[in-house]
Amino acid sequence: MRLLRLLSWPYARRHLLRTALTTAGIVLGIGVFVGMYTANKSVLLGFSETIDRIAGKAELQVTAGEAGFGEDILEKVQSASIVRVAVPVIEAVVSSKLQGEGDLLVLAIDMTGDRSLRDYDFDNGDEDIIDDPLVFLAQPDSLIVSKDLADRNGLSLGSRLPLQTADGEKSFTVRGIMKPSGLATAFGGNLAVMDVYAAQQMFGRGRTFDRIDLALTPGTAPADAQAELTALLGPGFDVQPPAGRGRQAQAMVAGYTMMVNISSVFALFIGMFIIYNSFATAVTERRAEIGVLRALGATRAQVRTLFLTESLVLGLLGSLLGLGVGSLIARGVASAIGALMGELYGVARQAAEIATDPLVLSIAVAMGIVTSVVAAAIPARNAARVDPVDALRKGAYQALSAGESRLRVITAVVLGVLSIGCLIGSQSRLLFYVGYAFTIAVALLLGPMLTVRLAVALRPLLTWLRPVEGALAADSVIQAPKRISGSVAALMLSLALIVAFAGMARGAYGSVLQWLETTLNPDLFVMPSQRLDLRTMRFPATMAPQIATVPGVERVQMFRSNRITFRGKPAMVAAVEMNSVRETARNEPVAGDADDMYRRAAAGEGVIVADNFAQLHGLGLGDEVDIPAPYGMVRLPIVGIIVDFFDQQGTVYMDRTVFLQYWRDDTVSDFRVFVAPGSAIDDVRQRVINLYAGQRHVFVLTNDEGREYILRIAGQWFGLMNVQIAIAVLVAILGIVNTLTVSITDRRRELGVLKAVGALRGQVRVAIWLEAASVAAIGLILGSVLGAVNLYYLLEIVQRDALGWRLNYQYPVTTLLMLVPIMLAAAFVAALWPSEAAVRRSLVEALAYE
Amino acid sequence: MNRHSNPELGFCEYACGAGVIACVLTFVSLSFALPQAADDAQKIVDEAQTLATTKSERYAGVLQSFNADRKTSEKRWIFERIGSHGQSKSIIRFTEPPEVLDVALLIVNHPERASDQWMWTPALQRDRRIALQDRSTRFFGTDFTFEDLEEREAGQYEHTLLDEENIDGANAWKIQAIAKGARSSQYSKQILWIRKDNYVTVRIDSYVKDEVVRRLQSSRILSVEGVWTAHEMVMSDLPRGSRTRLLLEKIQYNLPLRDSDFTVQALRR
Repeated sequence: MRLLRLLSWPYARRHLLRTALTTAGIVLGIGVFVGMYTANKSVLLGFSETIDRIAGKAELQVTAGEAGFGEDILEKVQSASIVRVAVPVIEAVVSSKLQGEGDLLVLAIDMTGDRSLRDYDFDNGDEDIIDDPLVFLAQPDSLIVSKDLADRNGLSLGSRLPLQTADGEKSFTVRGIMKPSGLATAFGGNLAVMDVYAAQQMFGRGRTFDRIDLALTPGTAPADAQAELTALLGPGFDVQPPAGRGRQAQAMVAGYTMMVNISSVFALFIGMFIIYNSFATAVTERRAEIGVLRALGATRAQVRTLFLTESLVLGLLGSLLGLGVGSLIARGVASAIGALMGELYGVARQAAEIATDPLVLSIAVAMGIVTSVVAAAIPARNAARVDPVDALRKGAYQALSAGESRLRVITAVVLGVLSIGCLIGSQSRLLFYVGYAFTIAVALLLGPMLTVRLAVALRPLLTWLRPVEGALAADSVIQAPKRISGSVAALMLSLALIVAFAGMARGAYGSVLQWLETTLNPDLFVMPSQRLDLRTMRFPATMAPQIATVPGVERVQMFRSNRITFRGKPAMVAAVEMNSVRETARNEPVAGDADDMYRRAAAGEGVIVADNFAQLHGLGLGDEVDIPAPYGMVRLPIVGIIVDFFDQQGTVYMDRTVFLQYWRDDTVSDFRVFVAPGSAIDDVRQRVINLYAGQRHVFVLTNDEGREYILRIAGQWFGLMNVQIAIAVLVAILGIVNTLTVSITDRRRELGVLKAVGALRGQVRVAIWLEAASVAAIGLILGSVLGAVNLYYLLEIVQRDALGWRLNYQYPVTTLLMLVPIMLAAAFVAALWPSEAAVRRSLVEALAYE
Repeated sequence: MNRHSNPELGFCEYACGAGVIACVLTFVSLSFALPQAADDAQKIVDEAQTLATTKSERYAGVLQSFNADRKTSEKRWIFERIGSHGQSKSIIRFTEPPEVLDVALLIVNHPERASDQWMWTPALQRDRRIALQDRSTRFFGTDFTFEDLEEREAGQYEHTLLDEENIDGANAWKIQAIAKGARSSQYSKQILWIRKDNYVTVRIDSYVKDEVVRRLQSSRILSVEGVWTAHEMVMSDLPRGSRTRLLLEKIQYNLPLRDSDFTVQALRR
């Protein structure tokens, strides 16, 4: 402790900038880790809170996938002796049409029984109107809104509120305002309550409900009731406590969560290299001091402890600051992540507040300290080994010794062989991930040597650019690979992460495009909403023959999508007219015979599944799938596996007749229209619009528009990736700024010597810039190579553990090319201040440094 | 409580204004031809119920709600009933306010189980079945709960004669009623005041634990076609400080109504 006070503290004060930069390494790593985790958690928590607040006193909820179920199920549930009260619910996320409000969560309930379950804490308005369920039920335009929403938009009782419905935009009347507590705070307060039967009509739900919320008769154990109701309703129904839906949401975003975790680990890893770099520099710089200590009798253990304690203190400080930065990052990205999750997964997405998990914060602090100590371990060991006599010698310690190089190479070769072995046996998940870790380790071990080689290769270029400064810059790197190894490693890892994420996004984009071209080929899409992702509204099936009569229409296909739970995980069921699709689809199956699979599926003898569905559930051709439905279990073999990107959780395609039999719901998500040869698509489109003019709001997209829309939706998923890429780029920039600043600052004496022997200020300045550019270039080269490998592993992870998608391997050359100027600019910025400081510092001061 | 194990919960349960009227009338309507009342609680209640029996009924009703701030809302309807005592069918069609115009409710009572109820909402052009639910829920914002609207079968309560009191200038029996065995109730007990002169129940105090939470008072008791009928009833929610007044106008009994008019199909018409 005394050593810490006498040696470390004065040193830290003397080198405040370096100490700050070293701490920044931890701050960055922990900040990204905590920020991304917290943002993700906050969004999921927001969803869970919305569920809880909406659930009210409901002890159990009955669902049957997204399609819901018929009204008869409600009577069945209500007839159960264990049920005290059971009320139907429809939930819909709709566009509010209020400026700046975006989407509104509409909770549609049956007010006659619902107040037993939910507390509609009304504002001090006209309770006689608000509290009159009869008026509420009699008027389908009745709406109760939260006070927050009302205040924000100047709404009062009787105000009109426009909402998007199945029949287009409709004006609703505010007949109640809820106080901003409990239920009213769900979905970030963007909540409206309406009558469930009115909602059926408004959102084209036929005579179905989404869910039944129920309370049990006193004394009934929820688990017993769950079992009894499951037995009563059959396997097609989920009976679970409201919290179960939160778990489903987590399952839906599991793939994304995994990506976030990977980027967090990388960020922390990069932070580790920043710390390593700082401590390595500090050890070399303080060799004389260490030598004196050793000469005065300090033991090696004491010296090692001193450095490790320093790292521990810095780790703690950095971690605590990192928590603050993480909170800021979380605030910054939570709403973006939430919005994207909502778009992609259809989950309510208002992260009302940032969810700080004490356990995660504790883990983060512990990780920060451990990372710091681990990163400082090698420099601390080196410090302890300092020979008092050698301590006065300068310069040679920055080079790699032959023995060290050999050891690194041998270790790298061994790990490389092991990683290849792991790859061969990568059916095992453990071996796969171990192999991945070994590959990264190989890259890090070989980093310094490759840096020297690359610096040697770059030397001619640098000397061609500026003979003197270029040679100085190249030689500086060649002679001191250890000094810049931290910078290179940090940059390499960041770039590997960027390349992998960008490559994955690119691969997904390419694969989706290919899928669109081969599968999604109707000329027109007739939809109830402008948004393909909103399944809130549906069409009646009776529209199909009406559209078919429109001149120029050759074929109309009804398409119905419906989210279900398959083996405890969310999945999608799509009901299509197989016989018709058979004649229009041009995609080749991954498994099965194209003609035979459509024929068998059309006959109700099997289902066709998406490749990612098969991957995620470990299913193959001929395997039987049990798909729970409200009116029985669909038990059919897989007759074909196709490449399909319709849903991230995987889609099961079945014939519409099978769907009607087991779901008893003939509503349609969208109609796919094929125009007769010779007819103008735009004319047919206009005729379809005219057909429903004044009766029903239909949105008709051409194939190009539909394709563009899907790509835009896909682009939103890539948007999630872009958040990750942006973080990785930020980490890379901060990493290079940090490590280069430390590195150049530590060369004051060397630069002073240069000036002493006659170097001009401009030459010193340019030499530093070129050295920084060299480091960036080397990092870019190594990062792009490691990125190629990383991309392979990430695509494997996507296929195995995240989404099940077999994405094309497409190296993101464009992204990399875009990164070149960014990284070079970052390096230049990093070098700017230290180089100016170096050239302006007095010669005496520079030479006295150390 | 297993409500389905309570077949006695027959009459107008929860979602219908018709129920309000029908049930309350069961209490407060009695024949002119009064028998000699025995000073026995059970017999008194049995007699009161028996004398309320009519083949059919029609009236125009007005329901006025007053909340604690004295704000009021008013609804009007036409009520029709065919049959009686747990086997009746009723339809109520709202006429005012305009927001509820033509909203109709059908209640089909069964002696052995809960009633079936449907509601027709013209704006949606559809009927909906209303299920028996939490009986302590307030009935459409009034001060009646659904349980208050149930038909009271005398045999399903334990009646005890407590006292005789003068109420509003008339002598009345004060009788305690406690739900029997399987019949659960939100109320721990109810105290009824039945007038000795015409067997009309003029007041019911409903208790939760030892506190009176609701009070129903009947007044303007007039003879209609030989049946003593209260033309005004007020239900007060004492903790809430609100009350609901029910006014009955143009009351007619034993009309030639058709059974086919008391169906879901007829409701849609």
